[in-house]
Amino acid sequence: MERREFLRTCGSLIAGGSLVGLGGVLGSKASAVEGEMMWQIDPERCLQCGRCETECVMRVSAVKCFHANQVCGYCDLCGGYYREGVKELNTAAENMMCPTGAIKRRFIEEPYFEYTIDEALCTGCGKCVKGCSSFGNGSLFLQIQQELCLQCNECAIAKVCVSGAIQRVPVGTAYKLKDHA
Amino acid sequence: MPEISFAATILPAVARFPKPDFTSGYQYPTIVHSVPWETFWSWVDIGLLVVMMSLVAWAVHRRRSRGVVVGVSIVSVLYFGFFRTGCVCSVGSIQNVVLALTDSGYRLPITVLLIFLLPLIFALFFGRVFCAGVCPMGALQELVNVRGWRLSRAVSWALGFIPWVYLAFAILYAATRSQFIICRFDPFVGIFRMGGDMGIIIFGVLLLILSVFVGRPFCRFLCPYGVLLGVVSRVARRKVEVTDSKCINCRLCHHACPVDAIRQPNEAKVAERRTTGARRVALYLLLLPLLTVGGGLLLQSQSDTLSMAHRDVWLYAQLTADEQPDVLTAEVEAFHEMGRSMDELEASVQEVKKSYRLWSALAGGLIGFVLGCKLIRLSLKRTRNTYEVEPSACVACGKCFNYCPLKSQL
Repeated sequence: MERREFLRTCGSLIAGGSLVGLGGVLGSKASAVEGEMMWQIDPERCLQCGRCETECVMRVSAVKCFHANQVCGYCDLCGGYYREGVKELNTAAENMMCPTGAIKRRFIEEPYFEYTIDEALCTGCGKCVKGCSSFGNGSLFLQIQQELCLQCNECAIAKVCVSGAIQRVPVGTAYKLKDHA
Repeated sequence: MPEISFAATILPAVARFPKPDFTSGYQYPTIVHSVPWETFWSWVDIGLLVVMMSLVAWAVHRRRSRGVVVGVSIVSVLYFGFFRTGCVCSVGSIQNVVLALTDSGYRLPITVLLIFLLPLIFALFFGRVFCAGVCPMGALQELVNVRGWRLSRAVSWALGFIPWVYLAFAILYAATRSQFIICRFDPFVGIFRMGGDMGIIIFGVLLLILSVFVGRPFCRFLCPYGVLLGVVSRVARRKVEVTDSKCINCRLCHHACPVDAIRQPNEAKVAERRTTGARRVALYLLLLPLLTVGGGLLLQSQSDTLSMAHRDVWLYAQLTADEQPDVLTAEVEAFHEMGRSMDELEASVQEVKKSYRLWSALAGGLIGFVLGCKLIRLSLKRTRNTYEVEPSACVACGKCFNYCPLKSQL
């Protein structure tokens, strides 16, 4: 029994030592300063492939369309609001870019309209973003709505993102926005 | 909810249309995007982890009561499972730790490091108290388990090898920055989140149905973190004792144990000759380095195939395939759209393949080494006069305590 006890003590010293060693190595690399890591879309890299809508583990994706008013041209003929090649500028379903009607607009003054996104309706498909960046100023962009995001250890969208636009960032930089120009 | 003031990230606007000049005094709306209090909740997680593991350790080692463990299990399933939706968990944190060791660009949050280390530290002192009911996956299986169908020792020995293989591959894919397979194939996270990949959810539900009849199938035959805890628990300072009185060999605890961790006395069995046993152990000890090197070489020989799990390698294979498909995949389209150069991709692929060669050898070596160790352990016979708890398999669930007919002195 003596020998067994001795071996066990040796074993726990080895195990404890390696845990302390591993903790030390990792602890020197880790930092508490920046807090947690969150997933974020880099709007510059995003190609609006449409996978954000379908790959998120949530039933309705946590990726939403964000709007940078400071960049927007407030146009009447908006590439994110109307489909390409519309005949008449009215809100008939066949003219609208957004499949769920999540983009709302409000008349400000001739000829300007203010566009807002109804987040509850947005599915993050990125159709409007594509329209806006190919025709307009690129003021619409996709970003992860952090209040909805479940913070999976590995983001299911990041794994299949075609341009590698979804990355882990510290909490403080969780929103890369376009409207601080 | 804290609101974070964002560092000004100025992206070049396309500005096809000039900034409107409003005459009606229109003001740009200010929109504030709030960030959930993730750091706060992560520290709550750490606090609860410590409190719950301490509670289990106290209940199992001092009180010999199962009630506390059941209570902790319910709290764990509700809090760590459904409220915190299962991420980050200790099991998955293996990958974050490996990634932090290999990727200098990845910064490991201190909370994730603690989530990885704390259960191991507790295991060093008190055994697998984390598994008992603090881990939401273990707790969920424990709570639904009602029957105790037993598997033969040979079958559970063989199945017990799977977690090591799983661990080796999880390390391989995390170290090469390919993917987190433990998270991807986590059977219960879909249930906790009430959504996700349908195949995995079905797998999780089947596993849960199985765990009604067989104790903790995931913990015993899949969980890669459980085997690490098992190794540490083998040398734990305290091991679970069914009773502090003298065991009367009534077998009741053995039948009650859901994970088959209580070994029978074997004095009645005919022992083989000592020299035969010693010779076999010596043979296995000689075999151990051979198995380790062999496993390493075997897996390394497949490293190019394995590296296809990395996105760049897969993309490169698509781009250089002899027969180009008529419809380009989204990845290939994105490659052209982003204007990435073939040289840069090729350099990246070479880099990835190099790290695959290293890590597949290490992962294969681990598998071979564990196989050797398991064989050695199989041949180490020790005499047991009473029923004894095997610390590496015991998950400290406390089911055995109530079955013991001996009054505890406590």
